[in-house]
Amino acid sequence: MGFEKFLFYCFAAITVVAAGMVVTRRNPVHAVLYLVLAFVSSAVLWLLIEAEFLGIVLVLVYVGAVMVLFLFVVMMLDVDLAALRAGFVRFLPIGGLVAAAMAVQIFLVVGPANFGLEAFPKPPAAPAEYSNTEALGLALYTEHLYPFEIAAVILLVAIVAAIRLTLRRRPDTKYIDPSAQVQVKKGPDRVRLVKMPAEGKVETP
Amino acid sequence: MTFDTVNLIPVLPEILILILASAVLLVDLYVKEAEKGTLHTLALIGVALALAATLLVGGGERQVVLEGHYVRDALSDALKAMILIVGLLVFVYSRDYLRDRGLATGEYYALALFALLGMMVMVSANSFLAIYLGLELLALCLYALVAFDRDSQRGAEAAMKYFVLGALGSGMLLYGISMIYGATGSLALDEVAAVVAEQGLENLVLVFGLAFLVVGIGFKFGAVPFHMWVPDIYEGAPTPVVLLLGSAPKIAALALAVRLLIDGLGGLQSDWQGMLVILSVLSMGLGNLLAIAQTNIKRMLAYSTISHVGFIFLGLLAGTADGFAAAMFYAIVYAMMAAGAFGILLILSRRGFDAEHLDDLKGLNDRDTWYAAVMALMMFSMAGVPPFVGFMAKLFVLKAVVDIGMTWLAIVAVFFSIIGAFYYLRIVWLIYFDKPTTDAPLTDSGGVRVAMSLNGLAVLGLGLFPATLLAICQAAFL
Amino acid sequence: MENLYLTIVLAPLVGSIVAGFFGARIGRAGAHWVCILGVGLSAALSLSVVAGFLWGDLEPFNEAVYTWAVSDGVRFEIGFLVDRLTASMMAVVTFVSLMVHIYTIGYMADDDHNWPHESLAGRHSYQRFFSYISLFTFSMLMLVMSNNFLQLFFGWEAVGLVSYLLIGFWSTRESAIFANMKAFIVNRVGDFGFILGIAAIAAYFGSLDYAEVFAAAPGLADVEVALFGGVSLLTLIGVLLFIGAMGKSAQMPLHVWLPDSMEGPTPISALIHAATMVTAGIFMVARMSPLYELSETALSFILIVGATTAFLMGLIGLVQNDIKRVVAYSTLSQLGYMVAALGASAYAAGIFHLMTHAFFKALLFLAAGSVIIALHHNQDIRTMGGIRRYMPITWLTALIGSLALIGFPGFSGFFSKDAIIEAVGASHVFGATYAWVLLTVGVFVTALYSFRMYFLVFHGQPRMDEHARAHLHESPWVVTVPLILLAIPSIFIGWYAVEPMLFGDWLAGAIHVAHEHDTLAHMAEHYHGQWAFILHGMTMPPFFLAMGGLAVAAWVYWWLQRRNPDIDAELQRRAGPLAAILENKYGFDDFNQRVFAGGSRGIGQVLWQTGDRRLIDDGLVNGSARTVGQLAARVRHIQTGFLYHYAIAMIVGLIVLLTVFVTL
Repeated sequence: MGFEKFLFYCFAAITVVAAGMVVTRRNPVHAVLYLVLAFVSSAVLWLLIEAEFLGIVLVLVYVGAVMVLFLFVVMMLDVDLAALRAGFVRFLPIGGLVAAAMAVQIFLVVGPANFGLEAFPKPPAAPAEYSNTEALGLALYTEHLYPFEIAAVILLVAIVAAIRLTLRRRPDTKYIDPSAQVQVKKGPDRVRLVKMPAEGKVETP
Repeated sequence: MTFDTVNLIPVLPEILILILASAVLLVDLYVKEAEKGTLHTLALIGVALALAATLLVGGGERQVVLEGHYVRDALSDALKAMILIVGLLVFVYSRDYLRDRGLATGEYYALALFALLGMMVMVSANSFLAIYLGLELLALCLYALVAFDRDSQRGAEAAMKYFVLGALGSGMLLYGISMIYGATGSLALDEVAAVVAEQGLENLVLVFGLAFLVVGIGFKFGAVPFHMWVPDIYEGAPTPVVLLLGSAPKIAALALAVRLLIDGLGGLQSDWQGMLVILSVLSMGLGNLLAIAQTNIKRMLAYSTISHVGFIFLGLLAGTADGFAAAMFYAIVYAMMAAGAFGILLILSRRGFDAEHLDDLKGLNDRDTWYAAVMALMMFSMAGVPPFVGFMAKLFVLKAVVDIGMTWLAIVAVFFSIIGAFYYLRIVWLIYFDKPTTDAPLTDSGGVRVAMSLNGLAVLGLGLFPATLLAICQAAFL
Repeated sequence: MENLYLTIVLAPLVGSIVAGFFGARIGRAGAHWVCILGVGLSAALSLSVVAGFLWGDLEPFNEAVYTWAVSDGVRFEIGFLVDRLTASMMAVVTFVSLMVHIYTIGYMADDDHNWPHESLAGRHSYQRFFSYISLFTFSMLMLVMSNNFLQLFFGWEAVGLVSYLLIGFWSTRESAIFANMKAFIVNRVGDFGFILGIAAIAAYFGSLDYAEVFAAAPGLADVEVALFGGVSLLTLIGVLLFIGAMGKSAQMPLHVWLPDSMEGPTPISALIHAATMVTAGIFMVARMSPLYELSETALSFILIVGATTAFLMGLIGLVQNDIKRVVAYSTLSQLGYMVAALGASAYAAGIFHLMTHAFFKALLFLAAGSVIIALHHNQDIRTMGGIRRYMPITWLTALIGSLALIGFPGFSGFFSKDAIIEAVGASHVFGATYAWVLLTVGVFVTALYSFRMYFLVFHGQPRMDEHARAHLHESPWVVTVPLILLAIPSIFIGWYAVEPMLFGDWLAGAIHVAHEHDTLAHMAEHYHGQWAFILHGMTMPPFFLAMGGLAVAAWVYWWLQRRNPDIDAELQRRAGPLAAILENKYGFDDFNQRVFAGGSRGIGQVLWQTGDRRLIDDGLVNGSARTVGQLAARVRHIQTGFLYHYAIAMIVGLIVLLTVFVTL
């Protein structure tokens, strides 16, 4: 058993355990932190199969940005965990049964019989000057240009949808319009002279 | 890679839609609230241009471009044209409703156009990757559109359900795709097909992946037991969105099924045939039964959709060219009928009132004879009464099933469609033999009546002369 | 060419749709203009087709325009077969139809009086009428231009439908509703045979295309069908198809609907129930000549039915007092002549008579209509008389029509009727002698009833009341112009068409006659031009019989009636039981009414009470509906609205699929 294999099993175990923790932790902050752990260990798995770029991107994007954002959201929202978990125990037997059935099915198929080394021999290691990033870029912008473009459209749609669903202008909120402020001219904009007719003679009782 | 511009000509319709959708987003920033009608016009022009482009670049030999991700063939030409035509109807029908409720914003049109783009991508996909991305593009737009009316509690709930279940569904689809990638080592449909033809049913991984794919397809169509989202979403979403979501995507779902099951995994036909039989019988049975118990017409139409999906599956599972053509015919026809039926609901709705209950259709004949006639026509057609096109569609799929010797299945289908006829005819009854509960005027303007008339006449005309459309469908599976 | 033919067919349809659906919007003038333009265009183009065949180098056209469906190799198509036979029919149909369209403007001008005040059905009845007659023209053209049995059947049923709608046009009249029901039901009997015939063709030939069927027919001449102990297939098909023709062309015993159809407005009596639709059966048999030539039994059957109808129906015409019914029985009789010609394999003579008859019978009907308008819808000839002085154009044209009808030498009917009688005389099929005798005697009867009507209506003392006489005047030009235009071919068409149609090659490609049946070819040997034909005809018995009939009619109804105005009634009294039999129309109506109508109502009553109400309604329908409803109410609880239920349902579904198809 080579060192790489040892590393693989270590981090694979960490990933699985962390993923389990994400689901079972009572404290959502803990759950998010376990998710971070799961991501980091899967990044290591990427590195092990020489996909350095993906590993690093996983850490940078998911751990660095997405998860931190997630953490903020979880901390700021008042999530009623008790309510969320109310049915957990009640549905555990049936849920467990379904999960077990599913797992059995998957193990039957996704095992060494079909995905063993004979079917998928280890690819030859890439030479030292081989650039993972460059290869990925080449594939993305040539062979997979079309999917890449569609993915871009999907992101655009996500932005539009998010803005539509969350951004709303409330008529009762007061806000400052800087451009209007800047354009204020001397004279009528600043001071308004109001001419009023003189009061008539006030009757004194 | 040499970047050949000739390559892009088949993709012209998609490019046009993308440009128009982006243009709508930009123009939206510059038009005043009162001039939002411009967006409607812009969207219509865009779809019409794309339709013209589809017909222009269509025809002739099969073309595969963009490194094998994109295919243009007889199937894609026909389906895209139909999607765009239904899209036009959707925009025309929903205009007044959206305007009255302040929903006619740039985002609506942009999202709807992007949804059309997603469908077109699915139709023209030649690799698992493109299929999946098209599906996601469509789904994402639809999630957002379901929740589009931000003040509607029901809309938000429906969108949430749709989103979670949709994620589950596309997760399964993706898992299936990854299995098949694992077994074949390719994402391109033709390469997968070659490997499948070679290994056939011996490779358990392929069958395993196939089951997940069928679930994904079943979800997209709304087949039992992956149908649970359909009634809730139909009920909760704004009616124009239901109109969009219940019509054209059925055509796209057909493309999804054809590309995955026939183009990709045709070699596993004996397996997916069995799976589709189960889904089909369940869908026809449960859909028709549950529709009877509904009082909300949107829910009723949702269950009716489910039962029609069962019929579409009948054509697919026949596994013959005639069967596929029949399924395609059915999907196209269904999209047209659904557009008409929901369009009538939109016309019946007005500011602050949504026509949702069966009672709202009462006495429609006294309020507007022509719309009543069109609605009755749609219902007769959905029920499969000759000479309307719904009958022809049912006839063709049943014939396909009988031709492969599964007569029992055809009998089951006929049995359930007799049950189904009840609730369609009940609507006709309400329209003609009940007194209206209100005398509020119908909201329709300009093109709505024209479009609705064309829609109705198409349902009648195609029933009388189905050969042209059928020939187009058959040409797609030569 | 395809576009030309499509235009001919579709122009009337467009007119019909516009007048029918938008009649209220475009008004009366709009409706009649659009219909007349549509039919006029169609007529002009049809005449140009005939001209193309006559003087141009137009080739027969036989192509499918649209494939409606393909099932098990049988193609269901819409297509046109336009040869000289079709072209003649197209010209006749569209020309007569155009005349009737124009005439209708005058006839229906004050149709409002025919409806109860404020009746819903009476709204826009004028536009509706135009829509119907244009629709009829479309249907009839579809029928004659068809190149396959399916479209033939479509046209067949469509003209039947329009006929039904028009007989019952005045739907508030009890008698009109009865008549259109009768027409519809009697035609169903015929159509049943017709569709069985088509089904037999589809079953044995595997095709519905005329050309393919005709080509395959000789090969199937010896096939027998195990029915009634073995019948030749082609005899069976021929008889079945002819039963359809008996319904549509009103041959005994399916003739009973035609006299009653006179309840409809007169223009359609002229167009549908005299000139065109009722001749569809004649046309159909002529078109099927390649099939009929292979079955002498079928020909014999046709010949006997036709001759019997021709004679017996003519006799009834003697005792009718309704002006339209006299013409109607005359139509029945003349249709019998045409059918007899078909039976004698003289298809060309049948078609020739069809054409001449279309003109002079439409003329007679329209003239009768003109009289009816003038007398404010009084149709009883006993109360007419002396109208000649008040309506000179109507009188003259009616005289021309009557002369043509009885076959006065030189008039169109002379040529065609003479040809038929001679062809039947020359025929050798079973029953030919019987037919020849009946047809020849029939000529006498024809002349008698025609001129009985003519003298009673136009000559003698006016017998109408003072009020009616004061208002008697000639009809407006929209009525008289069609009369004049129809009178012209009634005189001349026979003279010009006799040579090419009977003895030339005008119908050569369209009609197929076996050599041993070819009576016309036999006659052609002795044909030496029109004058010779006329002179020859004047030496033959039919001529003397016709003149005899004319003379008797003139003596009784002109000469004797001057002294004794009640001569007609007196004669009928004296004839006693014979007149009673004729009055009762040989009892066909009573028999049908009692046995068929009464019987089926009785059976229906029983089935309704026990079968339908108890078994089906209470048991099957309501019972199963209740069951389904209860089931649905229970099953709907599956849909709980909870997201996790939905998700679990999906996953369970997936697991089931995996278990069934992967694990097992």
